[in-house]
Amino acid sequence: MTDQTLLVLPAGIPWVLAAVFALLDGRRRWVGRIAAVGLGVSFVSMVALALRVLRDGPVEVVAGNWPAGVGIVLRADALGVAFAVVSIGVMLVSLLYEVSLGMRSRTFPAVVLFMAAGLTGLFLTGDIFNFYVFFEVSVTAAYVLTSYRERDYQVRAAFIFAIVNLFGSVVFLIAAASLYHVTGSLEMQTVAERLGETSPNSAITIAVAIFVAFSLKLGLFPFHFWLPAVYVGSHPPVAAILSGALANIGSYGLLRFGGILPDQLALGTYAVLILGSASIIYGALQSISRSDVSEVLAYSAIGQAGYILLALGLGGPVGFSAAVIYAVVNSLNKALLFLVAGLRGPLVGAAFAVGALSVAGVPPAVGFIAKIAVFKAALAAGAGGGTAGAVGTVVFVTVIFVGGALSFVYMFQIYQRVFLAREPQGGHVEKPSPRATRALVGVLAALVLVFGLWPEPLLVLGEEAAAVLTGSPGDVSGGGDSP
Amino acid sequence: MILAFSLAVAVVFGSGVFLVIQRDLLRVVVGIVLISNSASLFIVAAGLTRGAVPIVPLPGGDGASASDPLVQAMALTALIITSSVTALLLSLIYRLYVSHDTMDIEDISVAELREAEALERKNRPEIEENPEKGPAAEELEERSR
Repeated sequence: MTDQTLLVLPAGIPWVLAAVFALLDGRRRWVGRIAAVGLGVSFVSMVALALRVLRDGPVEVVAGNWPAGVGIVLRADALGVAFAVVSIGVMLVSLLYEVSLGMRSRTFPAVVLFMAAGLTGLFLTGDIFNFYVFFEVSVTAAYVLTSYRERDYQVRAAFIFAIVNLFGSVVFLIAAASLYHVTGSLEMQTVAERLGETSPNSAITIAVAIFVAFSLKLGLFPFHFWLPAVYVGSHPPVAAILSGALANIGSYGLLRFGGILPDQLALGTYAVLILGSASIIYGALQSISRSDVSEVLAYSAIGQAGYILLALGLGGPVGFSAAVIYAVVNSLNKALLFLVAGLRGPLVGAAFAVGALSVAGVPPAVGFIAKIAVFKAALAAGAGGGTAGAVGTVVFVTVIFVGGALSFVYMFQIYQRVFLAREPQGGHVEKPSPRATRALVGVLAALVLVFGLWPEPLLVLGEEAAAVLTGSPGDVSGGGDSP
Repeated sequence: MILAFSLAVAVVFGSGVFLVIQRDLLRVVVGIVLISNSASLFIVAAGLTRGAVPIVPLPGGDGASASDPLVQAMALTALIITSSVTALLLSLIYRLYVSHDTMDIEDISVAELREAEALERKNRPEIEENPEKGPAAEELEERSR
């Protein structure tokens, strides 16, 4: 298979299927199953593409056979495929979960497929405006998904979500237009090259606009106000998709544009670090004070996003790779926890405990690897900085440690309340959930454990992705896959 | 020209923000439409150059003096996205209007709180033993003041 087809397949398959499924009734079982198979094929082609990229370096295609510099560039590099694989994986599991529970709406499979197409396109594009278009495709699908099941509070949550995110999109669009104005190009690499020659004033304004737009998507501390309202009311698979796949747009965008605007990122290091730390502490404290499972998880998402921002602010190859690893691990954790929260029955509690350990960063769960990566970034950043560096290191290590300890407390608080309660509330015994859904959750929990015990693939992915951002050609020979 | 455009963008964006912070959901939607349109205006302003119509800059001809077609394409795409999202938003508020008979966001959230409390009371009868004021009653009281 040529690189060209391999690059188009992961976004192309769900896109074509979504258009077809929009006409079919998703409540029928076979429709949901075929949609899941389609998304599965897309996932497999995505993994194949990821392996190709990690082995031979980035794959690039100019759409429509236009000469380079004119046509829209599609590019798959380690950073993009890392996010794409985990996002599509989370969506696949959530779709299977909903298929085995039984769909309640005719549009659900089509909307999930549209979102998969949008997300894959977004992670695999090398063009800023194309990025915006795919971004809109996926968030519009997310608005529809949020209102799934059509309870009043869900519709209201979808409305809030749409308004806030549209605002973020507009800010990003304005930043994209400004980038085009100052550099005369929309191609990410060209923009990055030409930005050095532009006036620093306009570049820093653009950088701030981009930062605000993606922080809004990710739900970082001062921009988080919409997040609890949306996550709390949502149906479990929808919450898993929003938190495990859609929120990746925010972390990917911050990382990608951090690579395009490195000088501006360096200038704003302190702001980024402080916001990240504030996010960690705020999210953890709010989570501890809540009692509802989905509410705790929603606030925990704010805190976890803070770690990604902290790693991004620490910067350098170690910091970027920590941010990528943390983002990937966080998607897995959140998908697992949101899905488990809706289930009852044997083994569900164990799966939740695995997710809880992972969020708290306790071995053998994969969260441990992610926390260690951020720790390492904090140490590396302080190593060359004299006294100020040492003080900074102490502060950040403390923040990371306190955040981890607090997350341990809130995760096991809800574990105790939900899964260890001897007397079921109201006196009736709850029916265990369907076996298929519990099996899916078990698979996710097993993945969390496997990557915790055998983290090499994840670490290689993180390093390669960081190499894309720092501009140094990474070790593309793909070694280190063996334990 | 630049000043005129920036003023226009600022006024449209500002009016949009003013509408978004209203209570009436329909006004919120109109506000977000205005904000999106200010972005389209901004895109057009970003590529403001004088030149010929850019349909076919013939090779060898004076292609260099054609004005930039890319911003127009970008603005068009942004407009299409805005219009489709507006349709979605309108359908969402219609759905809320059908079930609550109101477009006011606060009325809707109070009604929701009341429903949630009713549900809670039905599921957990022990709450009724100490009749405490629920959040909806408090909210109503606060608003009547």
